[in-house]
Amino acid sequence: MSFPDERRGLRRRDLLCGGAATLLLGSCAPRRKSADRPRVSIIKAASYSGELAGTIRRALREHGVQVSGKRVLLKPNLVEFDPGAAINTHPAVVYAALEAFRSLGAAQVRIAEGPGHRRNTWELAEAAGYFEAVPGFESQFTDLNLDDVRRISLPHANSTLREIYAPQTALEADLIVSMPKMKTHHWVGATLSMKNFFGLVPGGVYGWPKNVLHWAGIPECIADLHAAFPKHFAIVDGIVGMEGNGPIQGTPKTAGVLVVGSDMVAVDATCCRIMGIDPAGVRYLRLAERRDQTAAPGVQQIGEPIAAVVTPFRLLPQFRALRLSGDLSAKEKVDDPRSRS
Amino acid sequence: MDRTKPADSGSALVSSILAGQNADGGWGYQGGASWTEPTVCALLALQTTGCLTPRVERGIRWLRGLQRPDGGWPPQPSVDQSTWVTALAVLALGGQPRDAARDRGVAWLLGQTGRESTWVEKLRSALRGEKVETGAGTTGWPWLPGTAAWVTPTVFALLALEHAGSQVEAGAVRAREEMGRAFLLARACSGGGWNHGGARALGYAAPAYPETTGQALLALRGCQSPEVSKALARAEQFLPLSRAPQTVSWLRLGLAAHGRRTQRTEGKFRFRGVMDAALVLLADAAEGGANVFPG
Repeated sequence: MSFPDERRGLRRRDLLCGGAATLLLGSCAPRRKSADRPRVSIIKAASYSGELAGTIRRALREHGVQVSGKRVLLKPNLVEFDPGAAINTHPAVVYAALEAFRSLGAAQVRIAEGPGHRRNTWELAEAAGYFEAVPGFESQFTDLNLDDVRRISLPHANSTLREIYAPQTALEADLIVSMPKMKTHHWVGATLSMKNFFGLVPGGVYGWPKNVLHWAGIPECIADLHAAFPKHFAIVDGIVGMEGNGPIQGTPKTAGVLVVGSDMVAVDATCCRIMGIDPAGVRYLRLAERRDQTAAPGVQQIGEPIAAVVTPFRLLPQFRALRLSGDLSAKEKVDDPRSRS
Repeated sequence: MDRTKPADSGSALVSSILAGQNADGGWGYQGGASWTEPTVCALLALQTTGCLTPRVERGIRWLRGLQRPDGGWPPQPSVDQSTWVTALAVLALGGQPRDAARDRGVAWLLGQTGRESTWVEKLRSALRGEKVETGAGTTGWPWLPGTAAWVTPTVFALLALEHAGSQVEAGAVRAREEMGRAFLLARACSGGGWNHGGARALGYAAPAYPETTGQALLALRGCQSPEVSKALARAEQFLPLSRAPQTVSWLRLGLAAHGRRTQRTEGKFRFRGVMDAALVLLADAAEGGANVFPG
C-alpha cells in the first residue's frame, strides 16, 4: 500500500536538515549541565534468561521512579507472530518489568496492548509466549483495542488530528511504560518507545490497521501521542531487535541491551545511535524534542557508553542516508560517562 | 465471560450470551459498555438459534437508537462518527422489504470508498510518480470514512449489501458489490488467503491471517477464481493450527460458504467474551446448513 505517511515518513529535506543539525550540535553546541539533560540508561543484557527483574529494578531506582501506590501500565509491542522473527517485545522482559514495578510498591501493574493488524490480541499474546512467561497473564492483561474509550484532545497537534479516542485503562494509569522492541521501520526509520504508543489507539474505534493515523501523518501522530500521554517511561527491548524491513518482515539482530529512561525522545534517540541511525534524521524525534534530546550532548548517558554497544542495524535503501557516518566510537566518546571526571 | 467450554455446547453458549447483555440492551466486547460489533454478533447468533426473545428485541432497539443522522452507525455510543460497523447494523436489521433505518444504512455504505481510490488521491499519486498499487481500479470499504479500504470492512459491506441490497438501489448495489469483490481478489496474498489488506508491503510479500482469510472467503461465496482456490487450501491449512474461537469460527464460516465441511473441533476453547460465543454459534449453524449471512 502507498499512503501519504510513507511519503511523509522521511523527506530528503529531513535528512539534509538532520545531518546538518548533527554536525552543528555535535561540534559547537554548548554543553548543558548534567542536571538539565535527560538521563538514559544503557544496560548490557546478553540474553532473556538472565536476572532481568533485578536489572530493571536497579535501573528504575537509578532513575528515581516512584510508583508506590500507583497504577502502572506496561505497554509491550505485539504486532504479529512469526516463530523465526523478532517482531514482538520478548515476554521475559515484560515479566521482569512487572516484577520490578511490583517490588517498588506499585498498587497495580497491568500489561496492555492494542495491536495494529491482528484482531485477536489474546491469540497473538499466546503465540508470542506471554501466557507461558507471565504467571497469571490472563488476569493481568487488557486488550486496549476493545477497551472502553474516552475522547481526548491532542495538546500538541503536529498531525491533522485534533482529538482522539483513547482507552480508559491507559487514561487511568499513573504511569505508562512503553516497552517496544528495538526495530527498524519501513516508513519512519526506527520504531521505538514513541511509535509504540500507536498501540494505545483503540482498533475498536479506528480499525485494524489504525489507518487514520497513517493519513494524518505517521511521524506527526507519533509526536502527538507522545504529548497526549505525558506520564510515561520507556524500557526498550534491544536484547534481540530487528533490522532491515522492520517492523514485521525484517531479520533478528542481537544488540544485547536494554535502554531505559523517562524521556522517550532521549531514549529513542539513544536507541537510534546504538542502531547506527542518525536520530536527527528521524522526523518524529525532531517534532517531539523540546530540549535537544536528539543530539548526543543533549542526553546524559548512564550505564554503558554507546560506543561499547553500538550495533549498526541494516537499513532499507531509502533510509541509508540516516546512517550515522564517521568514526562512531570516536564521535560517541564525547558522551562516554566513563571518560568524564 | 471467562471460562472454558466444549465447542459444541450450544445452549450454554446461548445462555452465556444472554447473561452478557447490558441493561441498555447492547453487549460489550469484554463486559463494559455496549458496542455495536459485539451487539450485532450476539443478535445474529441468537437469531440463528431461533432465540427471538424480548432480550433480542431489546438489543435491536438499542441498535436502532444508535443510528446517526447521516444513516451510519458509530462503533460505540460515545463515538460521534459513523464507521464500518454500519455494515454490521444493516446485517442485524434483517432483510425485510421495508426498513427505513436499514435503507439509510445501505445508502451510507454506498457512499463510502477507500480514500486511495478517489480521483483526488489517484491524481496526487500520479503527480508524485508513485507506483500503481495492486488492485488499482477496484474499490473496497474503509474502517473509517476518509481512510483507505481494507479487507474486513469490505467483507462486511459486501455481506450487508447482499443481505439488504436487493431491496434498495439494486443497480448501484450490484456495481459496488462487483468492485468490492474485485478489491478482495486483488488483495489476496501470494501464498493464498488474506491478511488485513496489505498483501505486499514495500514490494515484499506479506503472509495471510486465518481470520481475514475466513472472512474474505465468506464474502466471496459463489466466486470461482484461482485466488479463492488458493485461499480455500490455505484456510484448511490454518484450521488445525488455530485455537482461538473467533479465528476458528471465521475459518469454518469461510469454508462452509464454499461447501467445505470441516471436522468439528474436539478440543476446548477459551471463551473471552460475547464475540467468541456468538461466532462459534454462527459457525455451528453454517456447518449445519443454515445461511447465517443470507444474501
